[in-house]
Amino acid sequence: MGKLNRVKRRLVSGAVSDNLETMRGFGPWTLQRRRGSEAWIRRTYMVLLPVSLLASTLLVSAVTGEFPFVDDRRATMSVGSPMQPSPAVVSAVDAKKNAAPRPSPTEKVFTELPVPIDVAALDLSVRRVILDAGHGGSDPGTVSGPLLEKDITLDINVRLERMLKQAGFDVEVTRHDDRTLPLRQRANIANDSSGDIFVSVHVNSIRGSHAIRGIETYYLGPTDDPILNELAASENRGSGYTLADYRRLLEGIYADVRQDESRALAEAIQKNLHGDLVAVNPSLENWGVRKAPFVVLVATEMPAILAEVACLSNQEEARLLETGKYRQQIADALFKGIVAYARVRGGEAEKGI
Amino acid sequence: MGKEVQQVLNVGIDLGTSRSAISASNGEKFVVESFVGWPVDMVAKKVLKRAVLIGHEALSNRSMLDLHRPLERGLLKEGSEKDVEAVRELLRHLLTLVGAKVDGTGTTRAVVGVPAAALRTNKQYLRNALKGIVDNLMIVSEPFAVAYGLEALLHSLIIDIGAGTTDFVVMRGRYPTEEDQRTLTNAGDFVDEQLMKLVQTRYPDAVFTVYMVREWKEKHSFVGNPKGPVIVQAPVRGVPTDLDITIEMRAACEALVAPAVETMIDLISKVEPEFQEKVRNNVILSGGGGLIPGLAEALKKGLDQIGGGHVRALEDPVFIGSDGGLLLAQDAPDSDWEKLTA
Ligand SMILES: Nc1ncnc2c1ncn2[C@@H]1O[C@H](COP(=O)(O)OP(=O)(O)O)[C@@H](O)[C@H]1O
Ligand SMILES: [Mg+2]
Ligand SMILES: [Zn+2]
Repeated sequence: MGKLNRVKRRLVSGAVSDNLETMRGFGPWTLQRRRGSEAWIRRTYMVLLPVSLLASTLLVSAVTGEFPFVDDRRATMSVGSPMQPSPAVVSAVDAKKNAAPRPSPTEKVFTELPVPIDVAALDLSVRRVILDAGHGGSDPGTVSGPLLEKDITLDINVRLERMLKQAGFDVEVTRHDDRTLPLRQRANIANDSSGDIFVSVHVNSIRGSHAIRGIETYYLGPTDDPILNELAASENRGSGYTLADYRRLLEGIYADVRQDESRALAEAIQKNLHGDLVAVNPSLENWGVRKAPFVVLVATEMPAILAEVACLSNQEEARLLETGKYRQQIADALFKGIVAYARVRGGEAEKGI
Repeated sequence: MGKEVQQVLNVGIDLGTSRSAISASNGEKFVVESFVGWPVDMVAKKVLKRAVLIGHEALSNRSMLDLHRPLERGLLKEGSEKDVEAVRELLRHLLTLVGAKVDGTGTTRAVVGVPAAALRTNKQYLRNALKGIVDNLMIVSEPFAVAYGLEALLHSLIIDIGAGTTDFVVMRGRYPTEEDQRTLTNAGDFVDEQLMKLVQTRYPDAVFTVYMVREWKEKHSFVGNPKGPVIVQAPVRGVPTDLDITIEMRAACEALVAPAVETMIDLISKVEPEFQEKVRNNVILSGGGGLIPGLAEALKKGLDQIGGGHVRALEDPVFIGSDGGLLLAQDAPDSDWEKLTA
């Protein structure tokens, strides 16, 4: 019963966020072919893309990997709380109302454009990995008897760091000892050291259900950034395209690329984690890859995931976690996941992986 | 503020390619055919005394109407104002049937299940099309609503055979993603077309319409060995004549089997190996097409190639999707509903 409710909650919230995404203007993807190259782009952007000036800027951005206004974004991130969904939703709806009467033969507008965003053109190869051991100091995380989440995550990360360094990656850690570290600070560390990817390691605990155990990996879902939306709404008056449109557009693509990359990373990690651990821990369930607006994922600027690598509420699993052998197996699986992702990103040649 | 004292009516709606159903939290349930028609001219308008006709009424007066089946192939055609208006009329009509207040004195929250293909390709368009009719709106794919209604949320495969599309969804305890779903256009309408062609070939002088063919199918459809001859009537050179269409009926219905088996196996093969057996044994056939006798067995036979399994056909699929939508509406917390303004 407990499990059924848990699953139901997950499904309901999945349905809700899918709808919120639609409301915020995340249209479906369309495959566009142009001059021999192809790319997926959100239908919404076709409506928004007005002039070739915009297009050429985008093209330049895609090639250089630099996005104008990214600095603004950073500023808004650190000022406001990115976690208040309702005003954002309201203003997104308003923004759409304003955008509605535009006479736009959408497909046509888009086909006038040069090559759209090509993810491969962005330099997303993986050199520097930021490892974040969940909790620490006065925050023990999940607890089961003498076992504390903060200790387990740190131990796993120390193992993982060693392996990654041996394989030629740069590694930064948010903490290397037992200390209290606010989430924003973790994100700052990641951003300041220009990490290519951010991996946060946690241990789950399922309230009220000791029987189940599973693994899940999160990546950043659509954020309801109220500041960004306010900006867009206030500057979107009248019928013409405004700076806000432009900004939101770039913003959206930036966020999308990062989100897609985060998802790919999450999938690589989840696949290896579950695939490897189920061999030694057969009742381990695969809870898959999920979206969630964790602060640490919102505030980091690189593809970022949060992996719940084990379930401390399950007695058998707790016993396994007591052993260095199992923690090493978790570290091994995380390592494989990161490497698999890095391979796809094409950074392997330099690191000789 | 005032909203809180107002009565909230939750509804689940199944916007189907051929039939649309509604289940409301006040206990009311209705199903209508997904046809919307506008009188073609002033004469028709005078005769019909109505600006718009819906469901069976529209179908039976079709000669006087500009008739629309807005989600015919599982999609809402973008750019077709008439189709958008038709979906809106359909939705309004369903809401009126269950007594939803459309005058702003009550709050209506609707979960609308649509063909998976529509959700995939025109989510936003659909959402805009349904704007302003209810207070809060959540759109989901119809097979998902079916799964939710049956509480088949984990390790199950739902095959919803409608008129325009057959939707497959593997439920693995999460909100279905692209990889969990497939859509085929081999569905009820496809069977009608096949049957029409086959009967025409065998009886070139018989005169019949696709509506007659559909009736024949709904009465006599089957897959596998026939229980007896299938005899229908149609005029041949003006004379009502008995036609034996047993072979044609079987062939038309069995045209669904191979693509469905293939899709089923493809989806199951993508499930984590340790759960595949569970899924194989938990295949659920829903939708009007799922009522074809022998189809579940034929699909089950298809599963033998990959270790066997079990396929269960729902006996009364009409309200499964709308009931599932209603449950979803009731399970979604108020805080979420408030965000889903329509
Ligand atoms: N007894 C039956 N045997 C075969 N097909 C049937 C039967 N009853 C309904 N159908 C067919 O099922 C389809 C409608 O199914 P339904 O689930 O209502 O579709 P949708 O959800 O697409 O509106 C139609 O093609 C109809 O002819
Ligand atoms: Mg249906
Ligand atoms: Zn944690």
